[in-house]
Amino acid sequence: MDPINITIDGRQVTTTKGKTLIEAAAEIGIAIPHYCYHPKLSIAGNCRMCLVEIEKMPKLQIACNTQAMEGMSVFTQSPKVLAIRKAVMEFLLVNHPLDCPICDQAGECWLQDYYMTHDQQASRFEERKEHDRKREVFGPNVVFDGERCIKCTRCVRFLQEVTHTDELAVVNRSDHSTIALFPGAILDNPLSANVVDICPVGALTDRDFRFKVRVWYLQKTPSICPGCSTGCNISVETYQNRIARFKPRINEAVNSHWLCDEGRYCFHDLTGGERLTTPMIRHEGGLVPTTWDKALQAVLSGLRSAAPSAAVLSGRNTNEEAFLFAKLMKKMTSDRVLEVFYQERELTEVQKILMSPDRSPNFRGAREMGVSSNGGFDSLMQKLKQGNFSGAYVVGEDLISIDRDPDEVGQALKKLSFLVVQDIRMTETAQLAHVVLPSTHFGEKEGTYTNRKGRVQKLNAATITPEGALQDWEIFVRLLDASGELVSHSTPSEVFDALAKEIPGYQGLSYATIGAQGIQLGGEGQS
Amino acid sequence: MEKVLLRNVDVPDSHTLAVYRSRGGYRAWEEVVKNIRPEQLIEEVKASGLRGRGGAGFPTGMKWSFVPKDSPKPKYLVCNADESEPGTFKDRLLIEKDPHAIIEGTLMAAYAIQSHTAFIYIRGELAFGAKRLDQAVNEAIETGYIGKNIMGSGYDLDVIVHKGAGAYICGEETALLSSLEGGRGWPKVKPPFPATHGLFGCPTVVNNVETLAVLPWIIGHGAAAYAAMGTEKSKGTKLFSVSGHISKPGVYEVEMGYPFVKLLEEDCGGVANGRKLKGVIPGGGSMPVLRPEEIEKVNLDYESVQAAGSLLGSGGVIVMDDTTCMVRAALNLARFFAHESCGQCSPCREGCHWMEKIFHRIEHGEGQRGDLELILDVSGNIMGNTICPFGDAAAMPAAAFIKKYREEFEAHIEEKRCTVGME
Repeated sequence: MDPINITIDGRQVTTTKGKTLIEAAAEIGIAIPHYCYHPKLSIAGNCRMCLVEIEKMPKLQIACNTQAMEGMSVFTQSPKVLAIRKAVMEFLLVNHPLDCPICDQAGECWLQDYYMTHDQQASRFEERKEHDRKREVFGPNVVFDGERCIKCTRCVRFLQEVTHTDELAVVNRSDHSTIALFPGAILDNPLSANVVDICPVGALTDRDFRFKVRVWYLQKTPSICPGCSTGCNISVETYQNRIARFKPRINEAVNSHWLCDEGRYCFHDLTGGERLTTPMIRHEGGLVPTTWDKALQAVLSGLRSAAPSAAVLSGRNTNEEAFLFAKLMKKMTSDRVLEVFYQERELTEVQKILMSPDRSPNFRGAREMGVSSNGGFDSLMQKLKQGNFSGAYVVGEDLISIDRDPDEVGQALKKLSFLVVQDIRMTETAQLAHVVLPSTHFGEKEGTYTNRKGRVQKLNAATITPEGALQDWEIFVRLLDASGELVSHSTPSEVFDALAKEIPGYQGLSYATIGAQGIQLGGEGQS
Repeated sequence: MEKVLLRNVDVPDSHTLAVYRSRGGYRAWEEVVKNIRPEQLIEEVKASGLRGRGGAGFPTGMKWSFVPKDSPKPKYLVCNADESEPGTFKDRLLIEKDPHAIIEGTLMAAYAIQSHTAFIYIRGELAFGAKRLDQAVNEAIETGYIGKNIMGSGYDLDVIVHKGAGAYICGEETALLSSLEGGRGWPKVKPPFPATHGLFGCPTVVNNVETLAVLPWIIGHGAAAYAAMGTEKSKGTKLFSVSGHISKPGVYEVEMGYPFVKLLEEDCGGVANGRKLKGVIPGGGSMPVLRPEEIEKVNLDYESVQAAGSLLGSGGVIVMDDTTCMVRAALNLARFFAHESCGQCSPCREGCHWMEKIFHRIEHGEGQRGDLELILDVSGNIMGNTICPFGDAAAMPAAAFIKKYREEFEAHIEEKRCTVGME
């Protein structure tokens, strides 16, 4: 990488050969406005928003496609550049319907933003606007508004270059150019909704999210996708304590700019339905509400008397929860099998771009915390069906609904002398329990997941736990306390710092230094 | 003046191999492929001073020399026969009447850059011309001028005639390449340039029909003979297709530097029906129009026409007499460009139709004060800011019509009707 020196707006910049001006400027904090340029897609050069002035060049040049050359002097704020930005904005808005009040992109629209920063003048266009297709359904997750489209072709290039599925193309000429599905195609590949994220305007919107919330009301919490063990970095966006959408957060070590559709929409299944808000205990054949103290006492005595026992932890439980759960089970019973829920499915080539074959985001981490008896989850279920267990503690998974033979699992669970289920909803499994403990889902949790490749990443609570339910880690701490094992942790961060002292591979990590991009086990961030 | 490009077109059956050979055809090719090294050929063409006849006037030999010699990729030579510039029909004459000259030139250019596959990309509407080219290529293959080990030289070359689908933009060389690749006819963002990253990402030269068709003459007569014609910077002869209000429309070959007025008055017999000249576009529809007083001292070479404020372009001369409504003429061209813009980049996609809509209003009595400034400003915002030269091609004539016939545009806006020819 040869270093070269250029000047941008009078500032000396050392960059590397091969960098484009848009990249070199970004390195020193100068944002050159652009629509069609996307760091993960090929250069299209069509929007012309990034035109800059270069000394000794008669014409303005597009910063996205011009490589920095030794001695080059670039101007991003010269009168010519400021004028062409206004001109390009005016062109882009010539046939735009200016329907911001009813457009779902409003508030995060690059036309709006650049209008405020680079244009701020009335259009001189007084003619009839050209019309195009409105709300055309491109696929299960994406809807198209041709009139708002600026033909930047980001969506087309994403489908050509990232998914290689080629559903979309530009058709027609002149200002009748538009984006269209190939005849017979549907935009339904496993990464389809990314085109909504990269669409800088309101042309492609999310069918699941649109018209639910104005984006400026959204609260954004950085977190990790609970869909699978890839551990895509996301922003959990909430409104009035409900998750409204997931958006990908950029992390080049994990998901780059992308998020799969399955992950993007998984929060509906993981958080929906009626929540449990009070512990319950089996009394005269039925489940009746009880207090937390009584419920926890019942768990302790139940587990102690039921050996051998099975302990199943959800793959969506955090490292901190897994650490405490393993400790608890080892303390409670000497004859137990602990496993993290794990099931695999076949992935297609497009799915493999991002997705892992499981649905257990913290499968690796939970096992490393000690929730593993080396037989694996399938073997545990086998033993359960064969009646090898007397008791079971099931956290966050509905064992009946996830099994290929629900009846067999149900029969096996009924035969247990003691079953405790800790979950957010009254699942089929919970209905068979002797004690039911109301807990929390991923969106309400703080903690860490370790992804498939050994990257430790932080979850942050995006919504508030309903009154009456407890955080999983807190339930485990209370049970440990009640069992006589005094643990003084009062936050997930304290649990993490404790586990970092005990768990091989996690030594030297501290919760405070994990950061927004996570830390690779055995990598540089581990002291 | 000895005819160079039009030397064969008036001979009966000039399109056949037999007639072409009887007039010395393919001797130059035989000489080149057997006895001249590619670099010698490039030097010879450089020495002739030949400049590209597609409109830009770039030196042909120099264009060839940009092709990397050490590239491991295949190289391609493409003959641009997508003639679509409004008012231009010079290539069509050569295609229909002298296809072997084009093919012989194509073979030489391909040899110069050591390409083994050459394409002739012909405009879809020129169905008859495409048939002629196909026949001529087949004749040349049968005779051994095209194929493997041509005339025992060890050089292989295949020539493929490809018909376009009729988009004006595909005459732009990189749009042509996109189309030839099977894609949408969109110009490519430059750099990289075709010389290194052209057809299918390989080194490619695109030459115009007229440029290629003159090569056999240059090699046959020597670069010096060609360079002896024309002016200091514009060498040789050039074809002009003259149309519009002219007594004898047609394709004319003149030496570079020939007086413009002489071409119109003497060769073409002056403005039709004895009317007065109102304006003339010298280089095809995308070039600025000139007023009669502006062409008085203009000679037909790149430099002289440019000095007068227009460009030689394709040599498509469009003559307009004093019955012509210049608003309507501007609208006509604006409509063409609005229709043909490929839609790829914002200024051209949105600006061309915008300009047409304003011209349309003015022509239809709905012009407003400020419209002219607006068109000038919009055309200025397009000019120089687009991916390919199409933006300039649309902007230049629009601005020129207003600047040169402003009083007529203003009269349309004031009177809310056309006043041309109403004394």
